[in-house]
Amino acid sequence: MRERLRALDTRLLLPMLLLVIMGTLTVYSAGRGTTQSTLWLKQTLWTVMGFLSLAAVAAVNPLRIFRSAFPLYILGILSLVAVLAVGHRIGGAQRWLVVAHMTWQPSELMKWITLLFVTHRLGTRPIQEVTTWDLVGASTLVFFPMLLVLKQPDLGMAISFLPILVLIPLLRGLKARWVLAALLGVSLLGVFSWQKVLKPYQKQRVMTFLDPGADLQGKGYQINQSRIAIGAGGLFGQGFTSGSQTQLNFLPVKTTDFVFSVWAEERGFLGVLLALSLFGAVIMRILDTARVAKTSSETYFCVGAAGIFVLHLFVNVGMVVGLLPNKGIVLPFFSAGGSSTLSYFLGLGVVMAVRYRAKMK
Amino acid sequence: MEIQNRTRIQKRIGIMKTVAWFMILWLVLAYARVQLWKGREMQKLALAQAVKTRTTPAPRGIIFDRNSNKLVDNRRALHLVIQFEDLPRDNRQIEALAAALQADPDQLKRRVAAIRLAAGNRMLVLQDNLDDASVAQAEVLRARFPFLSIEVAPRRVYLGEDLAGHALGYVGEVTPEELLKDPTQFQLGEIIGRTGFEASRNDKLKGVDGQRRILVDYLGREVATYGMQEAKPGRSVYLTLDAGLQTTLKEAFGATQGAGVVLDLRDGGVLALYSSPSYDPNVFLNRLTQEQVKTYWDNPDRPMLNRVTQGRYPPGSTYKLLVALAALEKGIITPATTFTCYGHKSFYGRDFRCDAVHGTLNLVQAIAKSCDIYFYELGARLDVDDIYNTAKKYGLTEATGIDLPHEAVSRIPSREWKRRVKKEKWYAGETISVAIGQGANSLTPIALARFYALIATKGKLLTPHLLYGVRQENSSEIDLFTPPPAKDSGLDPKIWATLDEGLYEVVHSGTAQASALPGVTIAGKTGTSQLTSFVDKSHYAGLAKKLRDNALFAGYAPRENPQIAFAVVAENAGFGASSAAPIARKLCQYWFIDRLKKPLPPPGAKLPDAFRLDPDPGADEAPAR
Repeated sequence: MRERLRALDTRLLLPMLLLVIMGTLTVYSAGRGTTQSTLWLKQTLWTVMGFLSLAAVAAVNPLRIFRSAFPLYILGILSLVAVLAVGHRIGGAQRWLVVAHMTWQPSELMKWITLLFVTHRLGTRPIQEVTTWDLVGASTLVFFPMLLVLKQPDLGMAISFLPILVLIPLLRGLKARWVLAALLGVSLLGVFSWQKVLKPYQKQRVMTFLDPGADLQGKGYQINQSRIAIGAGGLFGQGFTSGSQTQLNFLPVKTTDFVFSVWAEERGFLGVLLALSLFGAVIMRILDTARVAKTSSETYFCVGAAGIFVLHLFVNVGMVVGLLPNKGIVLPFFSAGGSSTLSYFLGLGVVMAVRYRAKMK
Repeated sequence: MEIQNRTRIQKRIGIMKTVAWFMILWLVLAYARVQLWKGREMQKLALAQAVKTRTTPAPRGIIFDRNSNKLVDNRRALHLVIQFEDLPRDNRQIEALAAALQADPDQLKRRVAAIRLAAGNRMLVLQDNLDDASVAQAEVLRARFPFLSIEVAPRRVYLGEDLAGHALGYVGEVTPEELLKDPTQFQLGEIIGRTGFEASRNDKLKGVDGQRRILVDYLGREVATYGMQEAKPGRSVYLTLDAGLQTTLKEAFGATQGAGVVLDLRDGGVLALYSSPSYDPNVFLNRLTQEQVKTYWDNPDRPMLNRVTQGRYPPGSTYKLLVALAALEKGIITPATTFTCYGHKSFYGRDFRCDAVHGTLNLVQAIAKSCDIYFYELGARLDVDDIYNTAKKYGLTEATGIDLPHEAVSRIPSREWKRRVKKEKWYAGETISVAIGQGANSLTPIALARFYALIATKGKLLTPHLLYGVRQENSSEIDLFTPPPAKDSGLDPKIWATLDEGLYEVVHSGTAQASALPGVTIAGKTGTSQLTSFVDKSHYAGLAKKLRDNALFAGYAPRENPQIAFAVVAENAGFGASSAAPIARKLCQYWFIDRLKKPLPPPGAKLPDAFRLDPDPGADEAPAR
């Protein structure tokens, strides 16, 4: 028990806990007077469970964790296939598995398992000996579950697999030809997916992003209302449970995708600064952990974890203010949801385990 | 595998940290732009969609007769409306709504477009006066079209129904055309008087709308009220009408078409005003059906015409008094001058007839017997302009100034008039016809009544009016209306005495003796004339029934101390003595005898609301929403 507590990295834990508290309060405020008025309680429960899982993982030797990566990966792929086969549909998307009367979103955890497995594979040989083919293999390991997620369809979640590829510049550096190749690949993929893969509603989202004012009552409505909420927050915010956009339901999906707009409306720019600083602190601590890690796999894992956080932060917080297209992507510690909360705590548990082992010797 | 080449990796991690910080900084700048630079603007947008202003329509003033009998009241009604700020921008939504309401989409679009230009923030009424079943349907519609709302608004009730339709008029919503003409004058959805007293005294009757600031959620549902300014009801107004006399007048007419008006000689107040056929103003509160449009507007009997103020009738023998007045003032005759009636006489080579052989008559006798020959003689000696100038002096050539809209002006022919209108010169022979009230002259009943009121008052020119008083705000005191002071027209008392005697003899020994009323000395003049002219005579062309004579009777009572003056026109009813004079007799019977026989209420008792119909005792309760 004592060892477990010692394994907890306070400089990572503290900003995390602050963010979780802020997030739960926001969920409380957003849920008031709606069918989600007790969601904050559920979220608290998930947080407690997440924290216990984190504490359990943090004291485990990372080598043992990496060793379980392969069976976990196989299990994860199977669960994604199961989602497509027998999953629970909500609003035209099949993303959930019902287990023990609860809906689970396996893709959340699969993101971390994929990171774990890929970094485990890449860490088996010295950095200098990692070949381009190794990177191609690693990318394939990422793309496979990503395609399964895209099939659900869940574009936001699929995109959140991409930061794992941050490992490529870590190992290879950012060479001009790589950047060019990536840009070319992305634009080809873009054209291909616009014509063949993207559903009409997804295209609509992109169009809305390009011109939010064009269709204020339709798809642009969400972003527009979110921007009004954020702007109405001003410097000091409208006050806890006092944001008119939130409380009068002008703000859509306000406990998950647009939860940060609630925070921004009720806490203002100062609150936004506080939240972003805490997120910054979390990300920096993860990258610092990457620096002190004992093994290559551990370093890679931490860098990938930081990448996942940066992506979620940037895409979600940027999306609600109209900087990026409207796509369903959650904000860690803020958005309500069991699977994601648990997954982020577990992922950070692994990061803490890495630091704990590095500290011990 | 232990890490080798650690420095290179660490350098790359360092770069990643910098990149992460820059991304966060980018977010900070984006939020600073929206929250700090655009904060005010966004706050305004947030307020604009959450805080709405709703107008509480003020009830119009209640209308009473001179004895506090309620004639017009208000009750609460539910309306399906779109508030000004909720008007849909999308034409497709309007089309869908029109389809759901089974309304004409183009008309609805026009109404919405017109309303956008209007000032203020009232509402577009889609369906008014909803009953229970319609409220349920409206609620269903509201689920589909969140911009709809159901509002409580007062609605007019005309308790006497068709008792005084033309005097009271009715109210209606401002039309898009009126809104477009002057967007500052009216507000969207405002109820204004459309005709009658409701229109002429709209400023007194209309109240000041209240306003309510409410908080609404994203579906436009009211969440909270904050800030409220009560509606100020319109002032209660008292009319000079006497409901009892009005009822007598209406019943006296029955199915007969025509017009009757009674004036109070003290100040020109209108005691009764009835145009037959009348209409029930309650009908016009709703949009008319095709059938109703036919009944009321496309009816050759023209029920919408206020015959008292807008119908122009050839005055027949009632005009003889004016001709006598002109002749006396001109000095052409004295009261003692006599002419002899042989039943017919030739003037300007044409034979003119009288309906009897009256023998030798003086002026009083000529008036009493309504001898045409006597007045032909006057016509032969008078110029048409002499008659015109006398008419002008005694106010017949102008509008009476009654407080009802669109009053028609009587037509008194003159040389100038004929030159201007007919582009012909006046022939002296025409004056012969004019002298007995035929020919081009036509009078409105209200002008005729005012002229006989002038005789009754020895020359006072009164302004007929319906407004009696206005109740003070928050008090039961009444501010009495002061009519324009009566002008003295300068009638010679000697001349007056002759005319007065003539009118007395009409009822005492002349054409209307059958209408004499024991105990009340009525003075008046009968008239019989062909109906040739209305404001618009096209409806009358070729209708055989319409060729029958109109009967007229105008006068005052009691002769010794005149209190009321009246004019009655019964269309297509034959001789004035046999059909119009009995109506006047009934009026006097009520006013001077029956009215006073009514037992007085005990001291301090509330006067009974004679015309208060109360079909629904619960109507004053707030309806459930």
